[in-house]
Amino acid sequence: MSPMKLCVPVHAGERLCSTEDCIPGNGTYLRHGSIFASLAGYVLRKNEGEELPVISVVRETEAQLLPDVGAIVTCKVTSINPRFAKVHILYVGSTPLKDRFRGTIRREDVRATEKDKVETYKSFRPGDIVLAKVISLGDVQSNYLLTTAENELGVVVAHSEAGAQMVPISWCEMQCPRTHAKEFRKVARVQPEYLQA
Amino acid sequence: MDTIHACFKEKIGEVLLPGDVFSFRLPESGDGSIKSEKIICGPGLRRNGEEVRVCKSGILRHKQPNMYWIDSQQRRYVPAKGESVIGIVTTKSGDVFKVDVGGSEQASLSYLAFEGATKRNRPNVQVGDLVYGQFTIANKDMEPELVCIDSCGRANGMGVFGADGLLFKVSLGLVRRLLAPQSEIIKDLEKIFPFELVVGMNGRVWVKAKTVQQTLIVTNLLETSENMTSQQRQTLFKRVAEGSL
Repeated sequence: MSPMKLCVPVHAGERLCSTEDCIPGNGTYLRHGSIFASLAGYVLRKNEGEELPVISVVRETEAQLLPDVGAIVTCKVTSINPRFAKVHILYVGSTPLKDRFRGTIRREDVRATEKDKVETYKSFRPGDIVLAKVISLGDVQSNYLLTTAENELGVVVAHSEAGAQMVPISWCEMQCPRTHAKEFRKVARVQPEYLQA
Repeated sequence: MDTIHACFKEKIGEVLLPGDVFSFRLPESGDGSIKSEKIICGPGLRRNGEEVRVCKSGILRHKQPNMYWIDSQQRRYVPAKGESVIGIVTTKSGDVFKVDVGGSEQASLSYLAFEGATKRNRPNVQVGDLVYGQFTIANKDMEPELVCIDSCGRANGMGVFGADGLLFKVSLGLVRRLLAPQSEIIKDLEKIFPFELVVGMNGRVWVKAKTVQQTLIVTNLLETSENMTSQQRQTLFKRVAEGSL
């Protein structure tokens, strides 16, 4: 990687160069034949071995992996409501995130069948770890919209009211090993290769 | 195998404290025939692996054939689904009323949850009114929700009430005794003079009699009958009945 050409930080919207000099990379965009920065960071020019160097704008730390539409994310339920559940997104695929993004699982996105009979209290509880899929990035103000309407999505780890980690017994019930009390959750069917004996 | 029942039976009627443990010594029988018995642990008892622990302080009670629970004195109400309570309307925001039921959070009551209410025909509920309703959602993770309508859509005695009368608070144990099917307290009170009574499971009771003085007498009798044996209560009621004539 060639050293940074400019150590001066660049703000978003600043014109870096024209399309004839470089190829746009991460953190830049093309507009009217010129390359502009879309992030505030440092300019990085790399000679890839092709004709033109690739120009990109990076922050001090490494680039953050953002959840994309269709990505499977691991999240933790923070609060529930009769209409939706609010979650914090912790992992995208298998990479942990540095910041916690916020997501929402609406009542009609919990299950694929019988959507109007869903009760949020019988699907999730605060503190559960849930596997979900991103269906929309949302607006500026709103959170990521997630869904668990598949067999492999849903609650993976949950703690009972007594505090012990529960064991799934069906797609809609989990049991506490200490008090033997059953609780309702929308349980994910984990693939056999991920189960440890 | 009677060891489980025997363990419980010797403590029936005794005061137990949280942390008391019932552990069962299962007999190691060689023939392998262990009759399994089912025990229902009611409020105040919790199973913890192979033992049963007491979670609330109170007296151990028993009901045939196999139900055990702890009878505790408590004044603080925790909302539970299906219970009928008396609430006080505190705010009206949009389509929803906020009702104070004596719990940690205020309950929400939709304006459509009254008999005969539609979007055009709104119910006549003001801030400060008393409502008698049932919980549809009541758990520790969500805000409780009340309705004044049953599953068929009829009011069934629920809704706004109480133009006059007096609302006061008693302990939850007394409320359960008043709501028992053949309540002695109610029967004794009826003989003194007629009155209207609404009992909410959150410890709130509303009373209305013909005059203010009679209302106050009924209120005082209900509050004092909490800590009295039935003998003391009947002598007191008799004295009041004679004195009021």
